[in-house]
Amino acid sequence: MIKKSRFKIMPIIILALMGGGILMLISASKDMSTYSNFEQVKRSGESAKVVGVLAKDKPMYYNAEEDPNLFRFHMTDQDGKTHEVTLNAPKPQDFELSEQVVATGSFSGDEFIASSILMKCPSKYKNEEVLVRSNM
Amino acid sequence: MQDIQYIGEHLLPGRLGHFFVLAAFVSAILSILSYRQRVLQPEDNSWLKFARVSWGIHSFSIFAVIGILFYLMISQMYEYQYAWDHVSDDLPMKYIFSAFWEGQEGSFLLWMFWHVILGGAVVFTAKRWEAGVMTWLSVVQLVLVSMIAGVYFADEFRMGSSPFLLLRDTMQAPIFNNPNYLSLIEGNGLNPLLQNYWMTIHPPTLFLGFASVTIPFCFAMAGLWEKDHTAWLKPVMPWTLFSTGILGLGVLMGGAWAYEALSFGGYWAWDPVENMSLVPWIILLAALHGNFIARHTGLSIKTTYIFYILAFLLVVYSTFLTRSGILGEESVHAFTEMGLEWQLIGFIGLFAIAGIYLLATRNKSIPTVQTEEKIQSREFWMFVGAMVLAFSALLITFSTSIPVWNKLLDVYGSIMGKGDMGVYHKAMPLDPIDHHNRFQLWNAALVAIISSLAQFMRFGAMGWDTFKKRFAKHALISLAVGLLLAYLLSLWIFLPSWQYIVLLIAASFAVISNVDYIINFGKTKLTSMASALAHGGFAIMIIGIMASGLNKQTISQNRFAQEGLADGLNAGENAFLIKGMPMYMNNYWVTYKSDSLEGFTKSYEVEFIKVNETGDTLEYFTTYPNILYDRQLTKVATANPHTKRYLDRDVFTFISGLPPEHQDRSNIRKVDSLLDYKLHYFTPGESKDISSFHVSLDSIILGTEHSEYDQEEDDLVISGAVTITDTVSQETYKVNPTLIVRNGLLYSLADQINDLNLRMRLKASSLDSLFPMDEDLPYEGLTMKSGETTTWNDLEITLAGIDKNIDYQGYDAHPDDIAIQAVLQIKNQKNKTYIARPLFFIRDGSPLNMKAYVGDLGLHIKLERIDPEKEAFHLFLARISDTPVLPIEIAEEVPRNDYIVLEAILFPGINLFWGGSLLMLFGMFLGMYKRLRKQ
Repeated sequence: MIKKSRFKIMPIIILALMGGGILMLISASKDMSTYSNFEQVKRSGESAKVVGVLAKDKPMYYNAEEDPNLFRFHMTDQDGKTHEVTLNAPKPQDFELSEQVVATGSFSGDEFIASSILMKCPSKYKNEEVLVRSNM
Repeated sequence: MQDIQYIGEHLLPGRLGHFFVLAAFVSAILSILSYRQRVLQPEDNSWLKFARVSWGIHSFSIFAVIGILFYLMISQMYEYQYAWDHVSDDLPMKYIFSAFWEGQEGSFLLWMFWHVILGGAVVFTAKRWEAGVMTWLSVVQLVLVSMIAGVYFADEFRMGSSPFLLLRDTMQAPIFNNPNYLSLIEGNGLNPLLQNYWMTIHPPTLFLGFASVTIPFCFAMAGLWEKDHTAWLKPVMPWTLFSTGILGLGVLMGGAWAYEALSFGGYWAWDPVENMSLVPWIILLAALHGNFIARHTGLSIKTTYIFYILAFLLVVYSTFLTRSGILGEESVHAFTEMGLEWQLIGFIGLFAIAGIYLLATRNKSIPTVQTEEKIQSREFWMFVGAMVLAFSALLITFSTSIPVWNKLLDVYGSIMGKGDMGVYHKAMPLDPIDHHNRFQLWNAALVAIISSLAQFMRFGAMGWDTFKKRFAKHALISLAVGLLLAYLLSLWIFLPSWQYIVLLIAASFAVISNVDYIINFGKTKLTSMASALAHGGFAIMIIGIMASGLNKQTISQNRFAQEGLADGLNAGENAFLIKGMPMYMNNYWVTYKSDSLEGFTKSYEVEFIKVNETGDTLEYFTTYPNILYDRQLTKVATANPHTKRYLDRDVFTFISGLPPEHQDRSNIRKVDSLLDYKLHYFTPGESKDISSFHVSLDSIILGTEHSEYDQEEDDLVISGAVTITDTVSQETYKVNPTLIVRNGLLYSLADQINDLNLRMRLKASSLDSLFPMDEDLPYEGLTMKSGETTTWNDLEITLAGIDKNIDYQGYDAHPDDIAIQAVLQIKNQKNKTYIARPLFFIRDGSPLNMKAYVGDLGLHIKLERIDPEKEAFHLFLARISDTPVLPIEIAEEVPRNDYIVLEAILFPGINLFWGGSLLMLFGMFLGMYKRLRKQ
């Protein structure tokens, strides 16, 4: 009798683990984000990654004396729309030279607030990439 | 194109290199064939000899290729693309290894190098398994050599990328029309980011780890191939333990590098490249545990096979992800493309197919034991643990492979004619750290609990009925003490959610349980000791991760800046620190004291003082984060953190921002051009009120007191000594705006008072009016005797005497010179006396002189000639006007340039992470040692 009941526990444990695993996988896949443009991000109201380039003709703001954790720049997404991006971190060095910017973030009102930006810089040493996180 | 006879090229080493690459390729084929024959005809000894010779030739060829490539790099033969790309004339020799494996070809060679070394060990120790294992190892080597072969097929498909390509063959540039182009080029050099000792020790360790995964894989393939499914399980064990230890060390070193030298602000960021080095290690651990079960019970042989094969495939997959450029938009440190994507996919495909084929065809012959696994048995829980590990690896791989899923979607789209699949593309989780932590937390908790409980169980649940009491006792004691420990730790570690409480309890339980296990079993059996150290180390590591991660505290927060923020959304992690001005942040007074440049490194001295409410100093320390400039000292190449280490915590400091002028020299002019300079004319002694400042020119001097002036020979330097009083604070400041003529070029050195946001510079044209060319000066002669006083215009001049102690700045004394300085006292109408010391000297029989300049009087004086008989001194005097005028440009509202932006983070208990990890790896090596001794 006792032996039989033991045999029942094992499949239950295995099933529980598998069930937990599947749940985790499903919930992990929900964590995936999307590549998007400013318009879509604004409409969805959620966070996403925007791929684009630095709008070099627009002003860039960073003044360490006023706020060392505030950097603003303009970025043109892949649909050609330019929008200001706010990053709560110091301005990365050589940001002006970046070729591609991936900004992760969401809209707060009319302001796109990036939680991180990944920039690619052309350099003597091939393509260097720099990740800047604001760690909000 | 006509042939050009290039000058100075060394073509022989490249040809030799190519030859040895081909030799390595061919000898790998021979090694495969002959070892295979040995497996098929084990009685025939000649095949073994032939195989060993082939492997020997292969090994030698690989060493030769590496040796030649090193030779090219050490000799700075820039005609070779690899040397040009990774070495430069100014690269210190200590970084030659880093430069060698910075590139893909070099890192492939490093990988092959370790295979050769490990293969040698297999030849000498594997005995019965030598032929089978070496067959597969040779196949792997063959594929790896093909990655650097650089052979073209049908002009289209290139197999591998050769490290021996000539620069002029890899790029089109007009310079290569010049036969003497070599004299015109210099190397590209090693990225300064990589110029540190971590780059010297981390890649070899990691690649030894990667290479060591191949050996268990080869054992598994040999076992399948030879249909001997049990005998290999024992000899593979030490190899697996070695591999888990060394690969774990490699991954850990990567974390240490990130923590010590990079700006992550942590040791692990769940970056794709990091993840993909971790995943093979986890699968190998699963394989190790499957192997234990198989050895002791005969169960789970198939699982063990699968895990060993999978571990190797994941190493190759990791290589593919990091080298194909597919991670482009997701990772910070992926390699750039090398055009080997398809070859790498083929690499994975080949071994995946071989593995699946062997598993499928040998499936029936793999023994299965017909017993029910009992839940009280060690093997059952070990198996569950292995599955948890495998699942953990699956989850990490799943999230990390998102760019691959996107690519697969595109391929699917193009095959099915659905067009652009871009809309279905996904990106990696927004916050990868949170994402992975959230899921891996459960795997870690399960592994901690299962590994602890399983240790107290026995294989096959032997004698469970009598043993269970003891098991229950140990489990309960561990649980009770573990809960107590968890409670104590919870007083220290901040736990944001119940999930972390579970993890803390699991880890605490595991720590106690492993201590218990060591006390009761470890004393008698070394393997038990090894197991408990590895598992206990893991549990300690988990506690360390929680302590340093959850208790991580940012020190560098400016309270004042925070208050200014309207929404109060973000306090930020970076503080603005003015030189010499203490700032209070999170219980510390932090001061940026000074900075100093040594070589290319500028170190910043940052002082931390922690005080309590009554003002007593509780803690005092200084950190030295630094900035590495490029080789021209014009631009910041990278910032290196500096960490103050305590036993129970670390304080990590990092320069995250500098004034633009200090980041890049080119910004100096840019910043200056944005300022609104106003011109003011000053005569010496004159004062003016400008805005709220009282400005006075004390004097005009030849030379300067400017702190940034580095004297060079033959410089002509003029500066104004200016005193400024802030009428609000009554503070007084001294500045020295300066003009320098160096090598015929005029430089203006502005001087800045950061506290007043004031900058001052001399108008460049003032040099001409004060210090014109000598021939443009209206000199008048004046002859005087020593002690004599005479009047010249409105000045009263006394020749006080002569001085043989020469103090003339810029005078380069020769040993045979005869030199004197006249000492003149000059009094003006205001009764102010100035001293002038013109220099006269005879060199090689010719009389020469150097003039004195009294800036405040605008007076130039030369001692042209001395008449010894009459004791007469022939002087020449000139001035342009009675009152020299200095045009000073003054800008207000100038941004400060005496600050740093600092990131300072407190990591409590981080040594638990390092210590726990190392203990875990030590346990693995101990297990390996124990098994080697047994054999």
